[in-house]
Amino acid sequence: MQDRPPSSSSSPIQRLIEAFNRLPGIGPKSAQRLAYYILRAPADEARDLSAALVEVKERVVLCSRCQDITDQDPCRICTDASRDPAVLCVIEEPLDLRAIERTNSFHGRFHVLHGVISPSDGIGPDDLKIAELLVRLNGPDQEVREVIVATNPNLEGEATAMYLARLLGPLGIKVSRLARGLPSGADLEYADDVTLGRALEFRQSVE
Amino acid sequence: MHITHLSLAGARSFRRLELPLTPGLHVVTGQNGSGKSNLLEGIALLATTRSLRIANDLELIAWDALRDDPLPAARYAARVHTAVDDNITIEVIVSARPATPGIEANAASRRFRVNGVARRASDLIGRLRVVLFSADDLGIIDGAPTARRRYLDITLSQLDPAYVRALQRYQRVLQQRNSLLRRLQERRGQPGELDFWDEELAQTGAMLITSRAHAIATLNTDAAQRYAALSTGSAPLEVCYRPALPPPLIETVASSTTSLAPKLLEALVVGRTRDIQAGTTRIGPHRDDVAFLIGGHPAGSTASRGELRGIALALRLAEVAFSTARTGDPPVLLLDDVLSELDAGRRARVLAAAFEVDQVIITSPDPDRPAPAELSAASRYRIDAGVLEPIG
Repeated sequence: MQDRPPSSSSSPIQRLIEAFNRLPGIGPKSAQRLAYYILRAPADEARDLSAALVEVKERVVLCSRCQDITDQDPCRICTDASRDPAVLCVIEEPLDLRAIERTNSFHGRFHVLHGVISPSDGIGPDDLKIAELLVRLNGPDQEVREVIVATNPNLEGEATAMYLARLLGPLGIKVSRLARGLPSGADLEYADDVTLGRALEFRQSVE
Repeated sequence: MHITHLSLAGARSFRRLELPLTPGLHVVTGQNGSGKSNLLEGIALLATTRSLRIANDLELIAWDALRDDPLPAARYAARVHTAVDDNITIEVIVSARPATPGIEANAASRRFRVNGVARRASDLIGRLRVVLFSADDLGIIDGAPTARRRYLDITLSQLDPAYVRALQRYQRVLQQRNSLLRRLQERRGQPGELDFWDEELAQTGAMLITSRAHAIATLNTDAAQRYAALSTGSAPLEVCYRPALPPPLIETVASSTTSLAPKLLEALVVGRTRDIQAGTTRIGPHRDDVAFLIGGHPAGSTASRGELRGIALALRLAEVAFSTARTGDPPVLLLDDVLSELDAGRRARVLAAAFEVDQVIITSPDPDRPAPAELSAASRYRIDAGVLEPIG
């Protein structure tokens, strides 16, 4: 075993390394590299970074309507009058919103759940932004006719989709799910059995 | 089917093994601890992606590789010739984690490739099919129910990719459902949250149950005949499925998945209150068992050692026939030091099965057993400290 430095080290560089190391996807080596980069960088760069870190915590909040992260509440998408008020896309995480926006194929509004139902991780419907969704659909967003559930196509995503379908069905709102199948430009030979099976099951007729 | 080339690197006792193989019989002799069993385990790993005996994947990597290499890893690979595909390459790569030089690894991850393309485990299982006879087989009959469920899962997974997928999904759904049951026990959440998990559990569970019921029905008929021939004078053998279901449902397990699933769902819904009290799912294939009866009595508690060995052999021989009948292509037979313990009559019956498949690999601690007279056509090898050499 390699000797690890004691965690309660008081040296500033050590504290910075440990702070970086706590970030997701940053191991001890990367943390060291980042810390030494900051040490050598001009003082302005360190000040900008620290200001940005503080600002993101102080100024960025959750949009009170769609629960996306935003610096103005309600967020730009929720206040954009050109958006279709009849369609709402429900997603797991803010990053999924960015992915759907990049497609330029969706012109409705969003609702971010901040997670999916997963009892083994201790996450039930009450731990998600589902109550907020109901408030929206019963109040400010009564025009919504269709909710597109765009959770991931895994077990937990499906559980969440079914839960929402049962919850929203009685409100007279159409609930749909993203299609599943082969990625564009893919090679059939390299598709895994499950994906290919789904693509066959949910095939479409050619006009 | 048969293996045309086996390649093991950093795998258990094998620092490096490149072994071209032909169809037919192969006999590997060597002292205990020379790596004989590891060779067959390595081949079985390529068929099922998991080791039967080793729970910690880290132990699949050679210990000196773990000690010396900066990034310890084991590569198990085989080229396989089957009735449909004349050349498939399958690989299982086990890498130590964390992969940071200087920090001792405490776990391992497995990756899979078919013809060089990264695949899921479920896409690799069944490309190579094996039936492994070993001394541990007695545990299937007199061991815990887990051993019997694992036997069924290994046998059926190799024959049906849909079974592998159902099994993997079932296990994940079961874990989620049990977590939810414990949440509900603490009054956190609504019983309605069980709806999705119950439906998924019923769908995948019904698939597992009907597959197991059909397999056991077939194995029972065949194993009973083979047992009668192997153990003359003993009372007849019966292999019975004991599904963990409410009694009225047990009658319907041999029906189709589509007709069983709604009944299983109903039983799960009816049992919710008691499941919540217990904090666990009380019915379903995760609690199944198989009974081996000799003259109507449980073999595990009443049969002699010789009878138990006869049952294990009959079961494995029936499995070979089952695998061949289901796929039209006989599996590779692996006999891990089982012949030397058998009398001449039983040995002859096992070897007769060996001539019905394309390839057999036999290990033995005794270079004279099986005797050259019994297996004149066999290729012979000597193994010592993980190094394999052809004899003659």
